Amino acid sequence: MTDRSGLTEAELAAELRAFLAEHHPGRAPKDPGERLAFLQAWQATLFDHGWAGPGWPPRWGGMGLPLPLQAVYHREMAAGRAPVPPNNIGGIVGPTILTCGTDEQRARWIPPLLRADELWCQGFSEPDAGSDLTSLRTRAVRDGDVYRVTGRKVWISGAVHADWMLCLTRTGSQESGAAGITCLALDMHAPGVRASRLRDMTGGAHFAEVEFDDVEVPVSHRIGAENEGWAAARATMGHERSTSLAASGMRYQRVTRDLLDLARRRGQADDPHVRDRLAQAVTGARLLEWSGQRVLARVLEGGEPGPLASVIRLQHGVFEQQLHTLAVDLLGPYAQLDAADPALASGERHDGNWLRGFLRTRASTIGAGTSEIQRTTIADKVLGLPPEAGNSRSTR
Amino acid sequence: MTGTFAFTAEHEALRNTVRRFLTERSPETEVRRLMETADGYDPTVWSLMANQIGLQGLALPEKYGGSGAGFVDLQIVLEEMGRALLCAPFLSSVVLAANALLTSGDEAACAEYLPGIAEGTTIATLAVTEASGSWRADDVTVTADAQYRLTGEKLFVLDGHVADLLLVVARTAAGPTLFAVDAGAEGVAREPLGTLDATRKQARLVLDQTPARLIGEDGGAAGPLERTLDLAAAALAAEQAGGARRTLEMAVEYAKVREQFGRPIGSFQAIKHKCADMLLEVESSTSAAYAVGWAVDAGSVEVPVLAPLAKAYCSEAYTHCAAENIQIHGGIGFTWEHPAHLYFKRAKSTEILFGNPRQHRALLADRLGI
Ligand SMILES: Cc1cc2nc3c(=O)[nH]c(=O)nc-3n(C[C@H](O)[C@H](O)[C@H](O)COP(=O)(O)OP(=O)(O)OC[C@H]3O[C@@H](n4cnc5c(N)ncnc54)[C@H](O)[C@@H]3O)c2cc1C
Repeated sequence: MTDRSGLTEAELAAELRAFLAEHHPGRAPKDPGERLAFLQAWQATLFDHGWAGPGWPPRWGGMGLPLPLQAVYHREMAAGRAPVPPNNIGGIVGPTILTCGTDEQRARWIPPLLRADELWCQGFSEPDAGSDLTSLRTRAVRDGDVYRVTGRKVWISGAVHADWMLCLTRTGSQESGAAGITCLALDMHAPGVRASRLRDMTGGAHFAEVEFDDVEVPVSHRIGAENEGWAAARATMGHERSTSLAASGMRYQRVTRDLLDLARRRGQADDPHVRDRLAQAVTGARLLEWSGQRVLARVLEGGEPGPLASVIRLQHGVFEQQLHTLAVDLLGPYAQLDAADPALASGERHDGNWLRGFLRTRASTIGAGTSEIQRTTIADKVLGLPPEAGNSRSTR
Repeated sequence: MTGTFAFTAEHEALRNTVRRFLTERSPETEVRRLMETADGYDPTVWSLMANQIGLQGLALPEKYGGSGAGFVDLQIVLEEMGRALLCAPFLSSVVLAANALLTSGDEAACAEYLPGIAEGTTIATLAVTEASGSWRADDVTVTADAQYRLTGEKLFVLDGHVADLLLVVARTAAGPTLFAVDAGAEGVAREPLGTLDATRKQARLVLDQTPARLIGEDGGAAGPLERTLDLAAAALAAEQAGGARRTLEMAVEYAKVREQFGRPIGSFQAIKHKCADMLLEVESSTSAAYAVGWAVDAGSVEVPVLAPLAKAYCSEAYTHCAAENIQIHGGIGFTWEHPAHLYFKRAKSTEILFGNPRQHRALLADRLGI
């Protein structure tokens, strides 16, 4: 595999641009089924040419790029409008396996994950355990060489297509809280697993409900020690997060340019109130990018990502919602239409995407931990404020 | 993106030096004492700043008696001054006036005036605004006759009551033009204004056939003024980020110790969430301010876009943080003896200075070509 970790920033950018010029697959299809196959094929192309997993160890198929080159990588991918790989959850699962798994587990799961030959989902939330994950009830009972898993997960992104789930289970008593949780890699094709699509408010079926009826999971598929799955679950992204968040800041530079274009096309760019909000949107996108850069700079100096890393996600969710709300306001009466309506097409553009985003981003302040939980975590962990009475275990 | 956002060891050393100096020389008791005085600053501290650590000359070119440091260094100084609410004519003299001279391209004037500004022996200011409050050269009504004698009234002139050198934008037949006026020249009347932010004074200048010296080109003030204001906005954004950070620290410190209902108020989620949002704004303000700073040092063409962006954002963030700090402090926060209101007033005042956030966002939109 080509080792690009020694390239200069300019060289890496040039190589990546050349690669994209030759291999860019074009726009991903809208149809969900076709879309997934398209994105998997794209990820395989990336992997086969040594362009997958910028920060991941070369030993397991990653690129092993130092942080500044990772930033270049993400910037060029965003600028080149390269499709965002599927298996986004893999970006969370992968580091957990890399950090807490054994070499055998890494060799078994990481390369196919990076190539998107195998898709993963993250099975944390349950009907009665959302923000308070530590109250989860899905049971795993040790029976010789296997755990027998019974219970129910909900709102699991990509579960219907997933081959594997990084699943949090209860092995301790119900009262054991975070101390009785075990992390398993669960085969979604195993007998007793049933994933059923759950429609979301956009009309799509991005997430699913998953039921486990006495599912056997080999003990060798346990990530980390028994009852210590909580630590494994938390050891998700670490420093990886800063670069990929910086990347989304870069993607939003492009999206805000599209937004300015929308304002002009819809003849609203002269309205002072609209201009004020457009300027705010531009500001928000820049701030996200700079926050990512500052975190990166800290990490490059060998420091901890610092307080900023904790606020980026909060910032991100709120920004995405404001951006799409503005876009929808710019659509005026057309915002009453269905996102797919042809009346929303103008030239090359299909403004229905803004409507989709408008709906989709309601989840930006809920998924992966709500904004409220995020604020509490920042107050407790970053600012050192005393814990709330009766809620000393902030879970996300 | 131009900046790397990586502060060097020199940057940190500068920050520490300035912070130590200000802790010693500008504690709250001094701020409160000076804000009640007519001049509004302490000449001894001012000259120590120049002689001991060379702050006035820090970012001025070496050929004019400065140390030639970067704009980011200047911002670090301002961030610390914002934290400490320093009462001194630094923004007016070192940021506004010095940059008005530098951007004018008038080498003779720079050679004559900048060394004094760098040494702290000349206090200078820039007089642009009038009754309308506008910072646009086009809105200037003070006139200069053919002999360059100025007549008219300037308002909101930062430290105009103590400045030795008044840089005045006035209108000639050729258009808006920059002039240097000696504060002691005939026909100059100066009068301090009562200000919301007593830690930074402003004045009214009345000019009546006042003799003045042309700086730069006759009719050529608009371009340099615009550049000067971008730099001033960027510098002020850093000051605002520093002030905002201090209000967050005060709020968090208090929330940890003040108890109600048998527990610290910081354990209540309403308070936690306010603090988390303040942190978000403080960090974002820091990003915005230094993004412009790095762009200035890199000679980036993006400065005219980033400066109004940073000014608008940092202004609103500071005002919000300063207000939340009062709220979190409850009754004590509304009490004169508590410093929270000093920050709130500084925040609101700087929000308006050089144009309010909406005006800056309008400028940003214009410059983005929207
Ligand atoms: C699009 C999407 C994708 C998702 N994908 C996944 C996935 O792949 N895997 C997975 O495991 N989960 C997934 N989730 C689930 C998600 O993590 C949870 O929805 C989220 O953590 C919130 O839990 P909840 O829905 O039970 O809400 P609740 O916890 O019931 O919260 C309801 C409301 O109460 C507030 N609240 C709760 N506790 C507190 C508190 N202590 N203080 C203040 N306010 C509080 C919340 O902020 C929220 O506003 C996904 C969710 C969405 C929307």
